[in-house]
Amino acid sequence: MEIKKVGVAGTVESSDINIVIEPSNELGINIYLQSAVMKQFGRQIKNVIEETLKNEGVENAVVRAVDKGAIDFVIKARTLTALYRAIDSNDYTWGE
Amino acid sequence: MYGENIEIKTINLNRISERQKVDSFLQSQDLILEKDVDYTIAMYKNDTIIGTGSLCGNVLKCIAIEPFYQGEGYSNKIISLLINEQFDRGNTHLFIFTKPQNKKLFMDLGFKEITSIEGKVSLLENDPRGIEKYIEKLETKKRDGAVISSIVMNCNPFTLGHQYLIEEASRNSDIVHVFAVWENRSIFPREVRYKLMKDGTKYLKNVYLHKGEDYIISNSTFPSYFIKEKNSIVKIHAMLDIQIFGKFIAPSLSINKRYVGEEPNDPVTNEYNTTMKEILPQYNIEVIEISRLKKEGFVISASKVREAIKNNQIESLKQLVPSTTYEYLISEEAKTIIEKIKRSNK
Repeated sequence: MEIKKVGVAGTVESSDINIVIEPSNELGINIYLQSAVMKQFGRQIKNVIEETLKNEGVENAVVRAVDKGAIDFVIKARTLTALYRAIDSNDYTWGE
Repeated sequence: MYGENIEIKTINLNRISERQKVDSFLQSQDLILEKDVDYTIAMYKNDTIIGTGSLCGNVLKCIAIEPFYQGEGYSNKIISLLINEQFDRGNTHLFIFTKPQNKKLFMDLGFKEITSIEGKVSLLENDPRGIEKYIEKLETKKRDGAVISSIVMNCNPFTLGHQYLIEEASRNSDIVHVFAVWENRSIFPREVRYKLMKDGTKYLKNVYLHKGEDYIISNSTFPSYFIKEKNSIVKIHAMLDIQIFGKFIAPSLSINKRYVGEEPNDPVTNEYNTTMKEILPQYNIEVIEISRLKKEGFVISASKVREAIKNNQIESLKQLVPSTTYEYLISEEAKTIIEKIKRSNK
């Protein structure tokens, strides 16, 4: 699945996460994370984002994420929404 | 959401009374509602403003929260709304000017510091690799030489004066890097300005043209340039822009000279030139000021060109612009811009 444009979802309010997905000219998924709980959960948050994208068939992307203590399924939901916006899709397959 | 009395509204900037209320709130926080903001929101508690934030192009500015309400997530709320508005407009690369003591707040929201003027202002961007990417792009255009000069120009439009300055630099340098101001706020669109610069310097083989993008005299690095009003903030903005040039741009191309045209009329540009002479030598860059090209006693400038167009003195343009620009000005393509200049009051 190819990222065509910038897709954004979420906010920088408490318990939420703001995800920006951009096309990349490098290989792989590069995640730049800023988090209020970086030390405790930084790795975990990155894993959730990366897994979510890989499950959707994304191979190359730049992700900028600003986390304010979101729990895993919020991170997943925001990532998916940003992705659907980045590929201009209305073809949601929620809950799979 | 934060208790029932909190309300957030978009300010109608065309209404002076609404602007004034936000402005006086900002003044109580040592800030002002700057002239060029194009979107402003305010947070109210019982009809009293307790916080506000604005946008201007891709910049977030004039953000403040009443100290009593700080630390309760209100500023995150305001910044979230501003960021979302920007994303809705298609702007994803964002900048913030803030006081250095407040930069931590924005860094927690995903912004990264580009540079700071101690005690005065910090410039941040939300792309963690923003300036790095621009620098990497410039590095691919690096050319070897002993004297590597640079010029930054808006060229609204390209005149014989601009050509003269570039020729001077070209004759006295091995390489000349010319940066076109990339902010699209001049009457000639940036693609046109760029094309006329390109066409007007084609015969100079050691001249390389670049787009200044967000980091050279842009709305994000030097907003004063586009407001054209001299006040104390001009100096600080100039320092910021020039520091970015010295610290990041110049090293990427090994630039060691910067040419500039003398500025007798515009006080903002004049202040910029003065500041340049103060700062750039610290980065081992020599500033060379060239007197303006004169013809029959008057200085050739882009504003003279626009004035001549306005007064319908098309023939006299030949004395002010190179043939490449003249050809463009009389072309079919330029008609809408020419009409716009004729209708403007400037």
